[in-house]
Amino acid sequence: MFKQITNLHGDEIYLITSLWIFLVFFLLVALMLVWMKKEHINYMKDIPFDEAEEKDGEPLNKD
Amino acid sequence: MHLEQFNYDNRIVRDFAVATIIWGLVGMSIGLLVACQLIWPEMNFLTQYSTFGRVRPVHTNAVIFAFVGNGIFMGVYYSLQRVLKARMFSDVLSKIHFWGWQFIIVASAITLPLGFTTSHEYAEMEWPIDIAITLIWVVFGINMFGTIIKRRERHMYVAVWFYIATFVTVAVLHIVNSMQLPVSMWKSFYVYAGVQDALVQWWYGHNAVAFFLTTPYLGMMYYFLPKMANRPVYSYKLSILHFWSLIFIYIWAGPHHLLYTSLPSWVQSLGVVFSIMLIAPSWGGMINGLLTLRGAWDKVRTEPMLKFMVVALTSYGMATFEGPMLSLKQVNAIAHFTDWIVAHVHVGALGWNGFMTFAILYYLIPRVYKTTLHSKKLANVHFWIGTLGILFYAIPMYWAAVVQGLMWKEFTPEGVLKYPNFLATTLEIIPMHMMRAVGGALYLTGAIIMTYNLVKTIKKGNLLANEPAEAPALLPLKSVERDQHRRLERKPILFMVLALIAILIGGIVEMIPTFTVSSNIPTIAAVKPYTALELQGRDLYIREGCVNCHSQTVRPFRSETSRYGEYSKAGEFVYDRPFLWGSKRTGPDLHRVGGKYPHKWHFDHLLDPTITSPGSIMPAYPWLIDQTLDNSTLQAKMRAMRSLGVPYSSNEIDRALIDLQKQATGITKDLASNQVEIRSDREIVAMIAYLQRLGTDIKAVVPEDAAAKTDQ
Repeated sequence: MFKQITNLHGDEIYLITSLWIFLVFFLLVALMLVWMKKEHINYMKDIPFDEAEEKDGEPLNKD
Repeated sequence: MHLEQFNYDNRIVRDFAVATIIWGLVGMSIGLLVACQLIWPEMNFLTQYSTFGRVRPVHTNAVIFAFVGNGIFMGVYYSLQRVLKARMFSDVLSKIHFWGWQFIIVASAITLPLGFTTSHEYAEMEWPIDIAITLIWVVFGINMFGTIIKRRERHMYVAVWFYIATFVTVAVLHIVNSMQLPVSMWKSFYVYAGVQDALVQWWYGHNAVAFFLTTPYLGMMYYFLPKMANRPVYSYKLSILHFWSLIFIYIWAGPHHLLYTSLPSWVQSLGVVFSIMLIAPSWGGMINGLLTLRGAWDKVRTEPMLKFMVVALTSYGMATFEGPMLSLKQVNAIAHFTDWIVAHVHVGALGWNGFMTFAILYYLIPRVYKTTLHSKKLANVHFWIGTLGILFYAIPMYWAAVVQGLMWKEFTPEGVLKYPNFLATTLEIIPMHMMRAVGGALYLTGAIIMTYNLVKTIKKGNLLANEPAEAPALLPLKSVERDQHRRLERKPILFMVLALIAILIGGIVEMIPTFTVSSNIPTIAAVKPYTALELQGRDLYIREGCVNCHSQTVRPFRSETSRYGEYSKAGEFVYDRPFLWGSKRTGPDLHRVGGKYPHKWHFDHLLDPTITSPGSIMPAYPWLIDQTLDNSTLQAKMRAMRSLGVPYSSNEIDRALIDLQKQATGITKDLASNQVEIRSDREIVAMIAYLQRLGTDIKAVVPEDAAAKTDQ
C-alpha cells in the first residue's frame, strides 16, 4: 500500500541502524520509568505548587 | 529546617510580557499586509522596501523570534524561578538578555526590508546579526544555568528539561546553519552549497519549529496548565517518555521538506520514517496536557485562559498529526509548494503558540501586578474572535491548496496540461486568499482587544517587582538515589549533555554521509560556475526575496516536467550558495526558465508583470531599471566563492569587470533591437543574465548524455 521506502540502492543500512538506535534508546527510557518510585513521581508532580501561592487559592486537587 | 527568604524577579517577566504584546501586534499586522499583497499587488506600494519578497521574512521572523521569542522568555523567566525556588541568577544578565534581544529584533526589522538577507528561511538575518543572536543566547544560557545551579529545589521539574533541551538545541542549530563566509558587512556566502545547503537549511528550519516553537512551549504547558487548573500534571512518567522520544526523533525529520528533490533518497526516507514516528511523542504531550484537565473541565467554562489552553493543545495535536501526514510521499506530492503548508504552520503558530501565549499573558499580568483581570468578558470575546480567525485562516487555505495542487497536475484526455498557464491556477484561489485575510484580521482584532484588556489590568494594579518567597536551603544529599532518572533530574549539566547527544545523533547520521560520500552528490561536467554578471544577478534575486514565491527545483513528476522541463539533478546546484529551491509556489518554478523567453520578455515582466501576464499578482520592480549595479564587491565575492571551492581562475577574477561589461552589453544590444534602450550598468541587466542562465547547463548536453553522467 505505502511505498515510502524504495530505491535506497544499498543505503538501507542508515535506516536500519537509525531505527535500532532509537529502539535501544526508547527501551532504556521505558525501563527507567518502570523502575521509578511512585513517591518520587508524586513529589515531582507537585513541584509547581509551592505553599505560598496555595494559601491564596483553593486547595490542590490531586484526584 | 531553616527557611531562606528571597525574591522572584517579576520586572523582567513584565518586560518580556510587554515586548511579547507589542511585537505580536507588529508581526500580525505585517502578516495581514503580506496576505493583502497576495490579493491586491498594489499593496506592495511600488517601493523596493515594501514588496512581498522583502516583507514576508519580516513577518515570519517577527512572529517567530519577536512575538514567540519574547513569549518564551516571559514564560521561562516566570516559571523557572518558581520551580527552582530561586531568583534569576543575575539581574544584569536578565537586562542584557532583554535589551539585546530587542536590539536584534529591531536590527532585523531594518535590514531585511533593505534587502540584506541570506535567504535561508527563518534565518534570513546576515552574519553580524547572527553573531549578536549567538551572544545573547549565551547570556540567556548562563542566566538559566546559573539559576539552576543556585536552586533550592533538588530535582528539576519537567518544564526545566524542556528549557534545557531548547537552549542546547537552538544553539547547535543556529551555529551550524549560520556557517557563512563574510564578504562585506551585509553580505556573506554559506559554506554549504546546493543539496548540502538544502539539507542543513531544512534540518535547521524543521528543528527551529521543534525547538523554538514546540519544546519551550511544552515546558511552559507543564508549568502553567497545572497552575491554571490547580491540578498536577496527569502523568509524570508520560512526560519523561515523551520528552526523550520527542527530542530524539524530531531532529531526524527535516528532510521531509525536501521530498522528491535531488536530495539522496535514503535521507528522504529517513525523514519520512521518523516523521511518522513523531506522532507518538507529540501526541503524548498533547494527551498529557488535556488529561491534566480531567475533572477540571468545569473551570474551562469559566476561565478564558483555560479555553485558550484547550484550543492551543488541540491545535498542537492537529498540527503534529498533519505534519507526519504531509511527510507521506503521496500526500506531499500534492500538498507541497501549495497553501496547505501555509495552513499547517498557521494552525501551529496561531493556535498552539499564539493561544498559549495569550493564556499565559492572562495568567501572568494580573499576578505580577497583584490585581485581577480587568474583564473576563473581553477575554472571552478575544477567545471566540481568535478561534474564528484561525478557522477563517486555515479552512480557505486547505481549500486553496487542494484546488491549486490538483489544477497543477490535471491533464486533458489528449495528454497535455489542462492549465499550462500557472497564473490561471493562482487567480483561481484569490477568493480563498481573501477569506484568509479576513481570518488574519479577526485574529489581530482579538489580540488588540487583549492588549486593551491587559493595559486596563496593569493600570489598576501595581507591579510587584520583587515578589517575596521562602524555601529551605538545599542541603547536601545524604542518601544514594538508586533511580537513574531521579539522579539525572538533579544534575543539570549531565542532563544537558545527554540531551545534546540525543539531538546530535539524527543530524550526524543524515549529514555526515551527505557531506562526505561523493556518490550522494553526483557532479555534472556541463555545469559551470556563474559568470560575474550572473553572480551579481543572483544576488539581486536573493535581495528581492524572489525565493519567497518561486521555487527552483523541478520534481520528477509528469505534471512538472511537462510544465517546466527536465527534472532537477543534484549536480546542477553545486555552485549555488545559498540554494534557492524555495518552499512555496505562489508563482511558477524557475529552474528551467533560462532561454524560455527572450530578454525583452523578462524586461517587460520585471517592469510591470501585467504586461506579459495580465492579472498577475507579482509586484513590479521598476527600480531595477533605475538603479546602477554595485560592482564594488564583485571580485571579493568571486574570491570568497573560490575559497569555498568554486573553480574561478585568477584570470577570471581579475577580468571580472571586463567580462561582466561584455555580457551586459550583449544583453542591452538584444534589448535595443527590441526597442528597449537601457544602459548596460543597470541592475535589471544582471537579473536578466541570471534568469537566462537558470537550468541551461544541462540543456546544452543531449538529455541522454546528462542522465548517463548523473547516474555515474
